[in-house]
Amino acid sequence: MITTETLTKYIQQAMPDASVSVTDRTGTMDHFNIRVVSDAFKGKNLLDRHRLVYSALAEPMKDGRIHALEIKAETTDGV
Amino acid sequence: MAADPIIEEIEREIKTHKILIYGKGTKAAPMCGFTRETMQFFDKYGYPYELIDALPNPAKREALTKMTNWPTLPKVFINGKFYGDTDILDPMEKKGEIEPLLKEAFK
Repeated sequence: MITTETLTKYIQQAMPDASVSVTDRTGTMDHFNIRVVSDAFKGKNLLDRHRLVYSALAEPMKDGRIHALEIKAETTDGV
Repeated sequence: MAADPIIEEIEREIKTHKILIYGKGTKAAPMCGFTRETMQFFDKYGYPYELIDALPNPAKREALTKMTNWPTLPKVFINGKFYGDTDILDPMEKKGEIEPLLKEAFK
């Protein structure tokens, strides 16, 4: 279980420009859909974009605060 | 240095199955919503796929994570190449990239 604020903070530690929207899928605050918009994704393919998000969230994923994650990763120009 | 038998096993599995999902549970009883979603994704296309349960083997799970630099299950391989999970496959499908990829794999 993790709050939206804490989750967002983890992402922004890695990608300071990121805007993050979080949806709780199950009402238990550990299964999330997240959409991250950041120019850190520019020039990166989808696999590498997701790797970036996973590495930003490595800690809460490892200790189980985040159980499942669906990711959308976009740049500010919508690519 | 002798090759790691776990890596050898994974490489053999990736080579053997054109579509391979490392997931949680079995086809009859998938134990994770994402694994089930991934099966449903491939069910639409009608090509055979294999699901290998990575839960009973933590060492293999760890080796897979290192190999792919991808922390979560399921992990999908098509024609020997890593494609992540449905977060990656769904946008590829929207762009019409899955059908040709599978056709090529099974030709």
